[in-house]
Amino acid sequence: MNLHLPDWLPRSNTVNLLAGAFLLSALYAAAQRRALAAVSAYRANSIALGLIALTVALATGARAIALAALFVIAAKGVAIPALLAKHARGRAGAVGAQPYVGVPAGMLICGALVVIAFSQTRALFGSGASILAACLPVSVATTLVGLFLMVSHRQALMQVVGLVIVENAIFLAAVSLTYGMPLVVEMGVLLDLLAGVALLGLFVARIEETTGDSDTTRLSSLKG
Amino acid sequence: MTWLLPLPLVPALAALACVLLRGGRATSAVLLAAVAACAAMAVALAGRVLAGGEILAAGDWLHADALSALVALVIGTIALASGWYGTHYMAVVVAHEREDGRWAPGRYEALFLGLVASLMLAAVANNLGLMWIAIEGGTLCSALLVGYYRRPGAVEAGWKYLLLGSVAISLALFATVLLYYSAGRASDESGRGLLWTVLRADGAALDPRFVKLAFIFALVGYGAKAGLAPMHSWLPDAYTQAPTPVAALMSTGFLAASLGALLRFHAVTAACVGEAWSGGLLALFGVLSIVMAVPFLLVQGEYKRLLAYSSIENAGLVALAVGLGTPLAAFAGLFHLCTQALAKSLAFMVGGTLGRGHGSRRMDHWSGVLASSPAMGTLLIGAGLGLAGLPPAATFASEWLTLAGGFASAHRSHALVALVAVGIVFMGLAFHFSRMAMGAKRDRFVDPLPPIARAPLWLLFAALFVLGVWLPAPLRALIEQAARVVHP
Repeated sequence: MNLHLPDWLPRSNTVNLLAGAFLLSALYAAAQRRALAAVSAYRANSIALGLIALTVALATGARAIALAALFVIAAKGVAIPALLAKHARGRAGAVGAQPYVGVPAGMLICGALVVIAFSQTRALFGSGASILAACLPVSVATTLVGLFLMVSHRQALMQVVGLVIVENAIFLAAVSLTYGMPLVVEMGVLLDLLAGVALLGLFVARIEETTGDSDTTRLSSLKG
Repeated sequence: MTWLLPLPLVPALAALACVLLRGGRATSAVLLAAVAACAAMAVALAGRVLAGGEILAAGDWLHADALSALVALVIGTIALASGWYGTHYMAVVVAHEREDGRWAPGRYEALFLGLVASLMLAAVANNLGLMWIAIEGGTLCSALLVGYYRRPGAVEAGWKYLLLGSVAISLALFATVLLYYSAGRASDESGRGLLWTVLRADGAALDPRFVKLAFIFALVGYGAKAGLAPMHSWLPDAYTQAPTPVAALMSTGFLAASLGALLRFHAVTAACVGEAWSGGLLALFGVLSIVMAVPFLLVQGEYKRLLAYSSIENAGLVALAVGLGTPLAAFAGLFHLCTQALAKSLAFMVGGTLGRGHGSRRMDHWSGVLASSPAMGTLLIGAGLGLAGLPPAATFASEWLTLAGGFASAHRSHALVALVAVGIVFMGLAFHFSRMAMGAKRDRFVDPLPPIARAPLWLLFAALFVLGVWLPAPLRALIEQAARVVHP
């Protein structure tokens, strides 16, 4: 079955606005020091991702994409944030260890990462590589912001939020490049991610249990 | 019957059975039966592939060529040996460490079988998305197993493993998406652009820019899973903290499955832009892994960490051999994938028994093993010969062929660096193992495991040394065909 995307889609404000919301929510998460606020930002991030996929589904009329979009919203917009929020409300969510980089400096770095991502993605993919080419620079920028979030925080839960934002960005790349993968694969991937986050949550709880808080710099007994 | 679907399905169902049985003698029996069935099916699959060539099944989502059969054979063999040893080892752990080993009965067996099922699925998956799902599933099972013991070190190792592994696997997902995109079948909803057989057949028609980008991401993602430097930082901690049978399976089966995935990306890239480009990257990261492991192998005090760095070195050797791009080196690399699995799993399990018997994991506490227990001492020396690559162990043949293939290739400098590094590693390992086996007797060693637990070790020992002097014709044919998959 061939999908025909209407010409208006890449220039439509809907996709651009949603992509903007996607990137901004990631930046908002990176600016937080409280894990609960970062989890809320992640929820917005996931819903923006699901809506982009839904827009593509509406434009193409492909039922499989719509179904995948609904699964994305259910897993990433509801289940995973709920799991993370549960841990964030506990001890892990308190303002604990300082991040390695303060918020103003962190925002400057994130800004630089976004600029680099936009310029380099254009250079590599050109502007017309895909009908949804507008989303691709956003996806690369969000990947970098998510990775920065991971490496700049000591709190275990913040690192998990960074990781799930990176995963969202890669989903966005999949949607914008290939309109998502076959439904069965997509569902398997989502299931794995869900189980992975549940497991990470389990480890966050055990880190608190063994070290007294969720500062990952205390996990440094294994060397050599 | 093609043995493709039952290969992951049998251990998965057995894992389910273990969850339902909730411990008792029956779970060990289920585990043993399942891993034995896996090993038997892997042998049967190899026979089918040798006789009839490539097999496709389950709507082309599963597929077996010589490479899959070889990887499945490695996973099956080691799953059988480590599962068998594990039933005795974990019984001792549970009996001696009530604090540490307070897992619900049956959970260890279920996760172990889940890991075997994931690895088998990764070995025979033709759909690259399915392969990704399988490897991620294996990561989740093994992360739980790494955190088996309730001590801070295990939490730390499990956390690092899960977090780094998740980032790596995300990059591998991106690689999969890029390859799917490069196939230009974005509008094809059936998703045939994700099938490895289709991608390789259409290699010339793929967009080279995206294929190259996909390979780089796959190299980082699946390379991290295999333990290639510099993405290896999770590995020594995870192998040290995981229970011994799990470490033995992870360092061999997981390594084979993720290297297999990486080599599938290599084969597609080679079909698209020629072998030199991705081969060069594989060789470079292979040499880097070998060189990086050397200093840590020399000054290591802890036995399991020694094996972990040896694992990084061996993963590097396989990647280097395939990357060198000569038929001989590709053959040697895949042969080394088998031989190092025998040596390393043997070494892990010997160490598990010795560690339990001495009550310490430090090598300086294990002196004069040969005098206190001739059988364990012999096994220890065998493992040491195997890891160091000394004749008559089979790893000597595979390492020697790799280096010989390297000097015949365009990457002579790589081969020279690897030769020097392997030489230094040999001296370091010879020092550690001779001191452990033949040094002055210090602590009393009493084998805490029943004598039957040594049976799988002797089988690995025998395989390691028989393959060193005699390579059976069917196995040789299988490795040759697998080498043609990665080196067309």
